[in-house]
Amino acid sequence: MSAALLEVTDLEAGYGPINVLHKLSLRVDRGEIVAMIGANGAGKTTTLMCLSGVVKARGGKVVFDGRDLVAERVPAHNIVRLGLAQSPEGRKIFSRLTVLENLEMGAFTRADKDGVRADIEKSFVMFPILRERQHQAGGLLSGGQQQMLAIARALMARPKLLLLDEPSLGLAPQIVVQIFDVIKELNRQGMSVLLVEQNARMALKVAHRGYVLETGRITFTDTGETLLNDPRIRAAYLGE
Amino acid sequence: MLDVFAQTGAAGFEQFLLLGLVMGSLYALIALGYTMVYGIIELINFAHGDLFMLGGFLAWQLAWTLGVRTLDASSTGAVVGAVALMLVTAPLACAALNVATDRVIYRPLRSAPKLTVIVSAIGVSFVFMNVGSLWLGTSPVKFPDLVPDANLVTAAGVRFTWKDLMVVGVTVPTMVALTLFVKFTPLGKAMRATAQNPTAAKLMGINVDRVIAVTFAIGGSLAGVAAVVNGLYNKSVHYQMGFQNGLYAFTAAVLGGIGNIPGAVLGGLVIGVVGELSKAYLGTKWSEAVVFTILIVILVFRPSGLLGARTREKV
Repeated sequence: MSAALLEVTDLEAGYGPINVLHKLSLRVDRGEIVAMIGANGAGKTTTLMCLSGVVKARGGKVVFDGRDLVAERVPAHNIVRLGLAQSPEGRKIFSRLTVLENLEMGAFTRADKDGVRADIEKSFVMFPILRERQHQAGGLLSGGQQQMLAIARALMARPKLLLLDEPSLGLAPQIVVQIFDVIKELNRQGMSVLLVEQNARMALKVAHRGYVLETGRITFTDTGETLLNDPRIRAAYLGE
Repeated sequence: MLDVFAQTGAAGFEQFLLLGLVMGSLYALIALGYTMVYGIIELINFAHGDLFMLGGFLAWQLAWTLGVRTLDASSTGAVVGAVALMLVTAPLACAALNVATDRVIYRPLRSAPKLTVIVSAIGVSFVFMNVGSLWLGTSPVKFPDLVPDANLVTAAGVRFTWKDLMVVGVTVPTMVALTLFVKFTPLGKAMRATAQNPTAAKLMGINVDRVIAVTFAIGGSLAGVAAVVNGLYNKSVHYQMGFQNGLYAFTAAVLGGIGNIPGAVLGGLVIGVVGELSKAYLGTKWSEAVVFTILIVILVFRPSGLLGARTREKV
């Protein structure tokens, strides 16, 4: 088994006549947190949606856990079954399903009822507020609670790789800290994470390695710490 | 229109209310097909009423072919068997036709502008209607009168016949079963999830195309059930009946809140009652005007319908 859980090579994707990703390459090793930072419109969300199969790749390779998702044309609904789950940008909570039903939807691909029940219990331990509000509609939760639900819902698929798209978006600072603590804890338990963030400082602090995405191209890559101290990154993404 | 005025004679308010509820449960069944498809792909399926018409024609064809044409000339066993066969075959056929239409016509247009799909649905409506006119002609066709008209209640001034009982006895359990399915089964939950957020549904591993096909299948089979019940109740089918009943059911779906399943049932019952009461007290010719005035008023003042208040999504 190779160290790389996800190996993306020369990925091309876009919408209509416009290509958003230009020969994008990146790698996530088993047990790593990898951060991808970049400005609005750089192609971060497109990259994740492409990995999840929602946006179709136009070229390149996405090898996940030994299988090329692009060459095999694995449809979106089967990618989760391979072990790749996502907490999408803007949470995309099922607003009229209850919190509990949202979690059940996360486990849609699973047949082991006992395991699902145990994992729901785990998400309640991770985010106690979700237990309190389990019978309320997802749309009634606050932004931070919805983010917690989105992460818990993605974990219900028991993924090998967790994709997180802007988990800090629009949240109060103390909630952001709480969410990132959970990400670190999940990783400590062995979860591999690909994290997309505009909050570059938070992302690079927790990440083992980072990529900088500019208009669909990777322009820098290094360890999280090195990127955090790079004067060019500091100027462009950390507001210094 | 489903005209039952003639049977009622000089009846009172309770009678019209009862009739309205009976008619309303039929509209509700058709409205559910509109609302479920709208809920999941935001398409007003204008061909839905005509699918209902074709289901009625198929039921007629079955009875005719089997030779079960009147209540008196057939044994009870033959009548029950024929009705049961209609109630199985018409829904299955309507489901299959609805799924096939989606697969061949709407699915290739999934990412096209909504107007394109709606115009296609209008086209499908005309095709179905023409198929109907080629099948049984353009005059109303007598549907086999297989359910007795005997009154079942003794209260003065109110008639509730075997026919009324049949409508309620078929539509209510069907709607209860649908509600339980959508609320409690994994596939039902997947349908609701897909309706609320198709992208997130894909990320959960839900096969959205399959869920949409199931939705068309359920909507079609409800139209098939409604078609059989309507044929037996009104004893007549006509190639344009899908247009009028479809518009009533569409109004019911909008009134309840399009995309909302309990809303379609409520809307159907309200439209049924309002339709019958306006026939009784304003005259048959005013009934349509009243019903479609409701449609306009709802669209202007409360486009989300009676039950359609959605929880806002937070960003």
